[in-house]
Amino acid sequence: MTGKAFEERFVEADGFNIRYVEAGSGPPLVCLHGGGGLRLAPAHDILAKNRRVVAFEMPGFGASPENRRSVSTEDLGRTMNAAVKALGLNSYSLMGTSFGSKVALWMAIERPETVESIVLISPAAIREQQGPVPTHVAPEEAAKLLYAHPERQPKSAPPSRELVAKHAALTSRLLGPGRDAPFEARLAELPHPVLALFGTADRVTPPEGAHLFSEALPHCHIILVYDAAHAIDADRPEALASVVGDFLARQDRFLVRETSGLIHP
Amino acid sequence: MKASFFSSVFYLAQAPGGWPAASTGYSPQDARRSMVTALEQFRLADEVGFDWVTVAEHHYGPMGLTPNPMVFAGALTQVVKRARIALLGPNVPILNPVRVAEEFAMLDTLTDGRLIAGMMRGTPNEYVTYNTNPAESRAIFEEAVSLIRRAWTETQPFGWEGRHFQFRSISIWPRPVQQPYPPIFVSGSSPESAGFAARNRISLGLAVTTVPQAAKSVALYREAAREAGWTPRPDNILYRLSFHVADSDAQARSDFEDSARLPQRMSPIQANPALEKAVAATGYYGTDLSKQRARVLLSHGIEERITAGQILIGSAETVRSQIRDIADKLGAGVLDLVPAFQSGEPTFRSIRLFGEKVRPHLNDL
Repeated sequence: MTGKAFEERFVEADGFNIRYVEAGSGPPLVCLHGGGGLRLAPAHDILAKNRRVVAFEMPGFGASPENRRSVSTEDLGRTMNAAVKALGLNSYSLMGTSFGSKVALWMAIERPETVESIVLISPAAIREQQGPVPTHVAPEEAAKLLYAHPERQPKSAPPSRELVAKHAALTSRLLGPGRDAPFEARLAELPHPVLALFGTADRVTPPEGAHLFSEALPHCHIILVYDAAHAIDADRPEALASVVGDFLARQDRFLVRETSGLIHP
Repeated sequence: MKASFFSSVFYLAQAPGGWPAASTGYSPQDARRSMVTALEQFRLADEVGFDWVTVAEHHYGPMGLTPNPMVFAGALTQVVKRARIALLGPNVPILNPVRVAEEFAMLDTLTDGRLIAGMMRGTPNEYVTYNTNPAESRAIFEEAVSLIRRAWTETQPFGWEGRHFQFRSISIWPRPVQQPYPPIFVSGSSPESAGFAARNRISLGLAVTTVPQAAKSVALYREAAREAGWTPRPDNILYRLSFHVADSDAQARSDFEDSARLPQRMSPIQANPALEKAVAATGYYGTDLSKQRARVLLSHGIEERITAGQILIGSAETVRSQIRDIADKLGAGVLDLVPAFQSGEPTFRSIRLFGEKVRPHLNDL
């Protein structure tokens, strides 16, 4: 079952009691979720086989109290850096999904020395034009935005209307404009290798916007994940885990194939 | 209506049968003569007013000396000065799609934007060529088409994490001249293919079929396009058939009868029924197995072939009326015309007569 290996824990940081789930051992990967809140997908299970995966639930999401204190993704990034520090992590990679991509990038800007590499999944940090947002539409329409093949997803009750509204209000307040010049200017400072994944069937953060990331980030690799919509981790978990795992292990060297093509010795 | 001149550049000499064909008795001189003849026919077709010329991909036999049609099209860019150059295929599931995108972009640049980019699944035997599983061919095909379009349109280097293809960094040069990319045609005789073409706003090519069967495919295509929110134009539909025009009906028939003395060609599928059966067993044909197999195994007499819309034969006037009949029934905007036989001068004369006496009348159809 998805997320079965993950254990739920809490950490006090920046005045928030922050929930997180954790599995695996090895180099740490800190995950920042999208606007729909913390949702473990099969990709997390695969990634946790080779590394310590720490997936936070950011303040104001899920069952946590409403977050009126954070004023921006930059501010939320400071809070999440405090949480990472409180866990004693001093060398890790960041993986930010959709809304969480902007939080992850601000975390790297604020504390670049502890970050090994950055993975962005369906990132909403820079947007050419505002696409449809899953938390702003009816559940059935949201499923079509999240999944290229909703019928292949395990059946689960949709989140309550109240929870969806709470998430929508928080992300709308914090995310900022699609083109955020001061933020984009700071991205040029990032020395880290970055991997940005876009689903070819994604209408929320469509692959047509991928070039914005290659242009803003000095060391960004773009990967298009075929036949995935916004929730790449659910549509193509093996594909996501494979390319992200290879990138985390080898960083820029992941461009060069090392697996053998030999059929028979 | 537009007319395209199609040659599979077949080997103009006696050759062993079967597929793959042995090369016993192969003559480089005959192969060279076959290619030169084809180039001359393409040059003539361009001069006399054909709108397009077409080349295709065939492997391992005398039926076509263009295993890589991109190479032949490269030669055509220096011979065909006006007509568009259509590649129908490459057989994309057996190829590297990035390479296909690159070669198409080269040809679009060499022709200054006169390329038609067909993307085919290929006939079943082609899956043996490079050892590809035909059962996966449709999924591979659809992914390859998606990747080729991305390779043409992405302006920044990108990687691809597919089901069947994985690339870490793609950034093709040269780029297509036609924007956002050249017209794409896919073969669409099965409901799956017609649906795929319609959903992706891709043009449809129908070959080795009959007008009544093609009309059914066109209806499926139009219906799927309507569901996808667009209406195909006649130019989005291509129909392939053979042709022979002579100065009179009697002359055309007499040329045709004479051609019976020439080496007869067999399609690779007819040439190896056991292989065809093995490919069919993988599920290659999709939902419409019996129809599809009947389609590739078609074989009729001349009168039946005329009635079925598989051949245009006769004087220019007769052929014009045969075309009107097909246009009424099919709504295809492009006829892809294969010489009914290769018999030297009568074939050249047929190309000239079609260009001079039939092609000018197609504008009204």
